[in-house]
Amino acid sequence: MLGRVGEQIASPLDTATDQMLADRAADGDLRAFEVLVRRYGPLMRVYATRILGSNDETDDVVQESFITAWQQLGTLADGRAVKSWLMRIVGRRSIDRLRARRLHVNIDDTDAPAPESHAPHVLAETLSQTEALAHVLAALPEEQRRCWTLRELADYSYGEIADELNLPASTVRGLLARARKTLLREMEDWR
Amino acid sequence: MTELTPADQRFVAFDLDDTEREQAGLNGHTLEQLSDYLDRGRVPAEKSIDDSPDCEIALRGLERLRRVQASLLELDLKRESLRDDNWIASILDNISLEARAGREIPLAHPSPTARLVITEGAVRGILREAGDRLENILVGRCVLVGDVSVPANPITIVVDATIFSGENIPMLAERLRQAMHSALGRYTELVVAAIDITVSDLYVAPKASVPDEQNR
Repeated sequence: MLGRVGEQIASPLDTATDQMLADRAADGDLRAFEVLVRRYGPLMRVYATRILGSNDETDDVVQESFITAWQQLGTLADGRAVKSWLMRIVGRRSIDRLRARRLHVNIDDTDAPAPESHAPHVLAETLSQTEALAHVLAALPEEQRRCWTLRELADYSYGEIADELNLPASTVRGLLARARKTLLREMEDWR
Repeated sequence: MTELTPADQRFVAFDLDDTEREQAGLNGHTLEQLSDYLDRGRVPAEKSIDDSPDCEIALRGLERLRRVQASLLELDLKRESLRDDNWIASILDNISLEARAGREIPLAHPSPTARLVITEGAVRGILREAGDRLENILVGRCVLVGDVSVPANPITIVVDATIFSGENIPMLAERLRQAMHSALGRYTELVVAAIDITVSDLYVAPKASVPDEQNR
């Protein structure tokens, strides 16, 4: 298990199935809910940060998502699906944030230049490649990054991405193709 | 990675806009098709892909991208898991227990003007608590079936439970039933006609609860 600061006293709930935890949380068990927060919160934070392009708003988005989840747990028919249900909530919240942000500032973050470190002479180690990928992902145009993140972190189908983002499926296909090529091209440069 | 194209020569198929060049460079295929092919585990085998050295280069690139993505996710998750617990505390602090309180169940009171209730959520809490005091059993969903708003109206309680594998199921279920009965008698005035316990799962010996974040 990954080490965590302030680890709770071991409880049988820590290893309970998602279904058990979701059922208990729906019944009002805050301890079961806390186990779900610990189990999927980190993934949800990574996911939100990727969609948003930075971690400035991650705390807020993830917190709002869990509060929504708590309120709506009664509507979750199958507790085994709680992970993808949570991912959907936080994905939606993150996308809403982006939309709201766009109303306030007319930003155009498309095609930001890739950071310097991508010059072909560097980065052989996996760790650096990983960091480099993080930079390239962050520098992707917003729509591409959103599509890519929904696809890769939340396992959405093309159709689901289209629904979620209100875009034609053909556009989603195109955005994913562009994102894929950009990532592949950048990776070629790291050799 | 010397198996790829020479560093000074770009791999044409990774060109951003030109689908025709992409297909020309990939034996008539697109990167999307190759990516789907990888998703399918390269089955059923497609000769026009497998036999094309250009496709092979692209497939290797895609595989490498996936590997690096997976390790990036792992790294990010590790980083997030090592954070202090403030964010968890802040979530739990902002949660309202009322949201899951359910129906109100009247309790008798000597004064005719006083109205005393216990919430359904609190009763479920009492039931869970009774179960959690027992070993080798975990109580899941608890449902109060019947009109709980009418005092002395008999109700049924339906409980899901998980029992550790290897335990005696009927014996533990009976113990749970008794514990729940006596806890309800202590804290509520509910008339319980029956407590139906369904053992829906056997709980396998504890192992670390690492989220199954990656199975690709």
